Amino acid sequence: MEAYSNKEVVLRTHGLSKKFGKRWAARDLNLEVYRGDVFCFLGPNGAGKSTTIRMILTLLTPSAGSIEIFGMDLHKHRGAVLSRVCGIVEKADFYLYLSAYKNLEILGSMTRRVQKEEIMEALEVVGLTSRAFEKVKTFSHGMKQRLGIAQALLTKPQLIILDEPTAGLDPQGMKEVRGLIKELANEKGMTIFLSSHLLSEVELVATRMAVINRGELIAQGFVSELLDKEPIEYSVQVSPFDSAVELLGKLTWVEVLAAEDGKIELRVEPGRASELNRFLVSNHVEVLSFYPHRTLEDFFLKITEGTSEI
Amino acid sequence: MKLFWFETYKIFSRWRTYISFGFIALIVIMTEVVMKLSAHEILYRMMRSFQKDFLIFGNVLNGWFITAFIMNSLHIHIPFFITLVAGDIVSNEATSGTVRLLLIRPPSRSKIITAKYLTTLFYTTGLVIFLGLICITLGLLLFGKGDLIMNYQTKFRLVLIPEAEVPLRMLLAFTAAVWSMTVVASLAFLFSTLAENSIGPIIGTMAVVIVFLVLGNFPFDFFRMLSPYLFTTYTVFWQRFFDQPIPWQEIAKSAVILGLHNIGLFLIAFIVFNRKDITS
Repeated sequence: MEAYSNKEVVLRTHGLSKKFGKRWAARDLNLEVYRGDVFCFLGPNGAGKSTTIRMILTLLTPSAGSIEIFGMDLHKHRGAVLSRVCGIVEKADFYLYLSAYKNLEILGSMTRRVQKEEIMEALEVVGLTSRAFEKVKTFSHGMKQRLGIAQALLTKPQLIILDEPTAGLDPQGMKEVRGLIKELANEKGMTIFLSSHLLSEVELVATRMAVINRGELIAQGFVSELLDKEPIEYSVQVSPFDSAVELLGKLTWVEVLAAEDGKIELRVEPGRASELNRFLVSNHVEVLSFYPHRTLEDFFLKITEGTSEI
Repeated sequence: MKLFWFETYKIFSRWRTYISFGFIALIVIMTEVVMKLSAHEILYRMMRSFQKDFLIFGNVLNGWFITAFIMNSLHIHIPFFITLVAGDIVSNEATSGTVRLLLIRPPSRSKIITAKYLTTLFYTTGLVIFLGLICITLGLLLFGKGDLIMNYQTKFRLVLIPEAEVPLRMLLAFTAAVWSMTVVASLAFLFSTLAENSIGPIIGTMAVVIVFLVLGNFPFDFFRMLSPYLFTTYTVFWQRFFDQPIPWQEIAKSAVILGLHNIGLFLIAFIVFNRKDITS
């Protein structure tokens, strides 16, 4: 993580704020996204995530503050900045009466000249080659979302901004989109900025995160660092049950919260989960299952004082 | 230019765009066929008012006359067909959510709104030219050629335009009709930038056109005073090209006033679109 001090800041906001009437939808946001990050912008519904993303993508004019992308002021160098950025805001909407291919051709050509091969390649990455020349009105929500990612890829952006990219998708669709996000970051070296209210999504895809509530930034940093600040709760299933409970009661760094029906709920000091597992096994306790218990949810609820709508 | 091409491609990829062309073709064909079948009755009605004072020979009910007649009859219908596309071209992007895709691209909002406006003007021009071509072609086929006789009953005037002059007059009249209709298109376009659905701009524009036409035609002094301030007073200036002599000064005045309307309406749309927060 020390290497981050040398990393280029791709996106930086300074006191970014947006006011609708008397209500601040976003207030004094100072975000920093580094090259290669999968940066997750986490917050409950209505926290100001979409408002912030819309300001970053020039759909909304900030009431105060500024946005710097690739070291350039967004307001002054809009065209140059947006030629290296692509995004999907809320859900991916397309011209339903046009084919997937034509949609990509039109939208891609607004950034730069795109060749037929490039369009087909982008469609192949998201698995839509066979539907390339069908009208988008025949596509499912998941297919439109994948097409959204294809149009983002087409312009070969360095920064991709995705507003709740898995919203409304079935589990299979969610898995596919998350897989694509990881692939874009790991294999294509793109920086991803995504918002989500799905806490599990952050754990699954993000390297860094920022938490927002009621328009204000609550925390920002590495996902692992932010999570390690608080003791983590686990659910374990063990055999024999009684001797395991007795053993756990002797450990000062473990707090047994509940023990019934063969399942133990416990809180462990940060970074000592594997040590606990070893301890149980070395004391002839068979560990049948051992999984973290809504870690991020707990973290989130703590820092937002239970005001969220999770 | 690329944006203009994309916008044109988009509007001509939708069925809605062809509704106008289809209905115009249908109305013109039906009108001309019915007129052909009722030629004697129409001729009698046309001549009734002045046959005791004039002796008229030749093909009076010809293709040129039919074209002028239809143009005169469709001054409510054509604006409606124009608003179908002009009132939808910006608002539809908000309704369908594509505005979010469009406005996060490198081209500026100014370029996008200008391309959309030019596309609206292109469609308007195409629609009026289509009306002209179908009227004249079918009219000449069904009714043949001849001198154009215009009977301005309200002014107690009869104007005869020799056949040789008619094609040029028609060209000028249709050019003026295009110019007139661009104001309706500009109004619908402005409403389209203000709204987030297509129905509002279409109904709004038609309401303004109809109310202005009604106000401009009330035979009371108050409404006569109001008339110069209503753009609909000037949108029929294409009729002046069938006058003898052509009142160039009056035509120029109308054209300038309508042009100023176009500039004003577009400028408002331009500013609104550039300042608009996209919250949909």
